[in-house]
Amino acid sequence: MDLDKLLETSDSCIHDEPPACTSCCPVHMDVIAFVGEMEKGDFDKAYKVMEKRVPFARIIGSICDHPCEKVCVRSDSGGTVKISELEKAAVSYGFSPPKNTIPLSKSKGRVAVIGGGISGMTAAFELDKKGYQVTLYEKSDRLGGRIWDYEGIALKKEVIEEEIAALVKQGIKTELNTLINKKRLEELAGEYDAVYLGTGVWEEELKIHPETFQVGDTSVFAGGKLANNNDSVIFSASSGRRAAASVDRYVKKISLSASREREGSFETPLKYETEGIEPVEAIGKASDIYSEDEAIGEAGRCLKCRCRKCIESCSHLTRFNISPKSYMRQINQNERIILGTHYANKMINSCTMCGLCREECFKGISMKAVIKETRESMVRRGKMPVSDHDFALKDMKFSNSKYFSMVRNQGEKAEYLFYPGCQLPASYPEYIGKIYKYLVSNMSGGAGIYLGCCGAPADWAGRQDLMQENIEIIKKTWEDTGRPVFILACSSCCSVFEKYLPEIAFVSLWEIFARKGLPQNNRISGKRVLSVHDACATRHNKEIHDSIRRIATLSGYEIQELKYSKEKTKCCGYGGLVYFANREQSADFVKHRIEESDNDLLVYCAMCKDLLAEGGKRTFHILDLIFAEDMERAALRKMPTLSERHGNRAQVKIGLLREIWGEEPDMDYEKQRDFKLIIPENVRQQMEDRYILSEDMAEVIDSSRKSGERFFNPQENSCLARLRLDNVTYWVKYEEKDEKILVKSVYSHRMEIVEE
Amino acid sequence: MNEDKNYNMPWLCDKCKRELVLKKVKVRYLEGNFEVDLPKCPECNMVFIDEEMAVGKMLEVEKELEGK
Ligand code: SF4
Ligand code: SF4
Ligand code: SF4
Ligand SMILES: [Zn+2]
Repeated sequence: MDLDKLLETSDSCIHDEPPACTSCCPVHMDVIAFVGEMEKGDFDKAYKVMEKRVPFARIIGSICDHPCEKVCVRSDSGGTVKISELEKAAVSYGFSPPKNTIPLSKSKGRVAVIGGGISGMTAAFELDKKGYQVTLYEKSDRLGGRIWDYEGIALKKEVIEEEIAALVKQGIKTELNTLINKKRLEELAGEYDAVYLGTGVWEEELKIHPETFQVGDTSVFAGGKLANNNDSVIFSASSGRRAAASVDRYVKKISLSASREREGSFETPLKYETEGIEPVEAIGKASDIYSEDEAIGEAGRCLKCRCRKCIESCSHLTRFNISPKSYMRQINQNERIILGTHYANKMINSCTMCGLCREECFKGISMKAVIKETRESMVRRGKMPVSDHDFALKDMKFSNSKYFSMVRNQGEKAEYLFYPGCQLPASYPEYIGKIYKYLVSNMSGGAGIYLGCCGAPADWAGRQDLMQENIEIIKKTWEDTGRPVFILACSSCCSVFEKYLPEIAFVSLWEIFARKGLPQNNRISGKRVLSVHDACATRHNKEIHDSIRRIATLSGYEIQELKYSKEKTKCCGYGGLVYFANREQSADFVKHRIEESDNDLLVYCAMCKDLLAEGGKRTFHILDLIFAEDMERAALRKMPTLSERHGNRAQVKIGLLREIWGEEPDMDYEKQRDFKLIIPENVRQQMEDRYILSEDMAEVIDSSRKSGERFFNPQENSCLARLRLDNVTYWVKYEEKDEKILVKSVYSHRMEIVEE
Repeated sequence: MNEDKNYNMPWLCDKCKRELVLKKVKVRYLEGNFEVDLPKCPECNMVFIDEEMAVGKMLEVEKELEGK
C-alpha cells in the first residue's frame, strides 16, 4: 500500500484547519475554544484561552480592532459574532492577575527595544520571556504610547498603569525620556546583539522584510506602524511578537524564514458551508459591555466552524468519532506495525464502503477507496482478522456451488441472461420464477438465467484472489452463452460488473420494468407515500434511480425524497460486510436511516430490505410493489435466517429446473437424516448471533450419533457433541426424543484443541 | 500433572462411560500455542469445552490473536 500517498490524502483533509476568524486574527486567538468556555458561562477559562494568544490581554482585549469579525462566517446568517465584545466581557468577568513566576536568568543575549508603544512593549515582553536582557527606550515620560488614547474610554487609568508596572517588574530596564535617532540607533546596534524598532515614525525609509521584520540584513528589526502602515492595535502587537521571534532566531543564528508560513493573518483553507444555517440575530447590549447572560447568548451564535461534513452524514465516522484525516493516520500506523496489536482493524472493518463521504467532501476524499486498498493490503500481509469475513466468504462459496449456481438458456441462444445475484433469491425465492417468466415473454431475443454470486463479498473482504477467480468464471459463462446482455437485479452486482466486467453489457431489471410495463396490475387506490432508500452501490446510476421512481408511480405511489438520496444515499449497514464484522456498527446505520423519515421506505436491494425491516421499519422491496399479494405482510416481513437463506437459494434452483426445464437437480441439498431437528426460538437467535447454520448443526449431531463421540449429562439427559468443520469447531447440546432432536444450545470456536 | 477428578462436573464421556478429569491440554490458534487445564476423558482424550468458555475467554483470545 502506498503510504506516502495515503498521508498526502490525509493532509488534504481540512478537518483540523482553523476557522476564518482564528486564521485572520494576527495572533490566532482560539475563538472556538474561547466562545466554548463562554457559552458554558466559564469566564475565567475564557479569559485564560484569550491570554494564551493575546499579549497584554487585559488591555488588547478591551481595545482590539477585531479584523476577525470581518471574515466571520456567521455574517450572512444574522451578523458576525461579536468577538471583540465577548473579549471585553471576558476581561470584565474573567480577568485574574497572572501568577508570579520565578524570573529566568537573562543569559541569552542583550536586546534594545526602541519605542514603548504596543509593538515595543509586546516585543520587550516576548524577548524577556525568552531569556533576553531587554532595555526599553521611550522618548516620552511613560510607557504605553497609543494605549493612553483609550484612557477613560475603553480602559481605566489604573488598568494601564498596573499592566505597565507588571512589565517593568519582570526585570525589563526602561530608559524613559530618551529620544533615539538614526546615529544613536547605529551605536545601539553595535552595543546590543539586536535592536527592535517600534517608534511608529522614523527619519528615513526602511527596507523591512514583510515576514521576518528584519531591516535589510542588519541586526535591526522593525514592527508596529513602521512595518504595517496602519493603525491596527492587534497587527501592531502581532508584529512585535513576530519580530521578537526573528530576533531570537537571529541571535541563535538559525534561519529567519524557515517554516513561518502561517504566522500573522492568513486565509484558512477551511471552506465552511453556510447553506441551511438558521439565521440568528446578534445579541444587543443593554449597557457599555455585555452582561454575563448577553455574552453567553452571543457566544452561542458561533458556529464553531470546522469541517465535519462527512462525519455528520456517516454512522461509521460518527461511531468512531473520527475525521478521515486522523483515520488515515491511524491506518498508516496500523500498516507499519509488524509486531504488536493492530488497533485499527476493527475500525477498518466497520466502514460500509458506501462512498457517501466522497460525495459530501468538496476535496473528494473517499474513505471507500482508502478502506478497499487497506483491506487488500491486510489480506496480502496476512493481517486480516479471519473471523470478520469468514462466514460471508463461505456464503459466497455456497452460492457458487452446485447447490445454487446454474446456467440455463432459453432455446439455443438468448440475447439476454438474467442474473439475479445471490441475496435476492435468498430473501425473495418466490419472486425469481415470476421475474423470469416475465422476461421470457417480454424480451424478444429470449432470456436465459444464470444463478450465482458476483463476488461482492470477496471484493469487500479485500480478497482479490477470490474476486479475480470469480470474475473469470462469469466471463467464461458469458462467452459460452454467446455474449448475452446481462439483466441485473442487485445494485452490488451492477457495481461489480461496472468495475470488473466492463466488456459485458448489462441492463437493470428495474429499467426493463419501467420501460416494458409492469406484469400485473398491483396498482393501489388512494394516495400512498413512500420514500426511496437508494442503494449505495449504484449511487451514480441515474437510470436505476429514475426507473425505481417510475415503477412506484406506475403502481400508484407518491414519492417523497429523503434528505440523503440518489448520489447522496446512505448505506443500510450491510455494505462492506459490516453486518458480519461489527453488528453494533451495522445497527447504527439502520437506526440513523430509519430516523430520517416517518414514511414507509421503498428499496431495491434485498439486504437493504432485510436490514431496515429487521430494525422495525416498514419497508417495501420494489418487487413487492409488483408481485406481493399482501402488502401489509410484505412491509414488515423479517429477514430469513442465515440457514433459511441457503435453503431458499437451493429451492430457487430446484424449482426453476423442475418447472421450466423439467429437469431433476443432481444435488442432495436436504440430506436424508434419521432424525428431525426441533430448534427453539432462543437457539435460533444464538445461531444468528454466532453465525451457525442448521446444516452444520445437523452434521455435528449426525456424526456424534454415528461415532458415539459425545458427552452425556444424566442429570439433564443431554448430549453434547463437537465437530470441526473446516476452520471452526461447532458444539451442539441436544436431547434425543425418539426420532426428534431437541437442540438446547449451539456455540463454536476457532481455536484448535489437541486431543492427545 | 493434575489427575484430580472434576467433582462439580455432571458430564461423562458417553462413549467410554468415564468421568472427566482436569488435565493440561494443548490449544492453538494462528501463531499462538497454549496449555490450559480442561476437563477431558481419561480414556479417549476427548476434551470438553463449555459454552461460557467458548464464547467468553476463547473468543477473546481468538480476537486478540487475530489482531496481532
Ligand atoms: S462563526 Fe464562530 S468560528 Fe465561525 S468564523 Fe464566526 S466566530 Fe469564527
Ligand atoms: S465509505 Fe461510507 S461508511 Fe465508509 S467512511 Fe465513507 S461514508 Fe462512512
Ligand atoms: S468532508 Fe470530511 S474528508 Fe472532506 S475535508 Fe471535510 S472532514 Fe475532511
Ligand atoms: Zn472417552
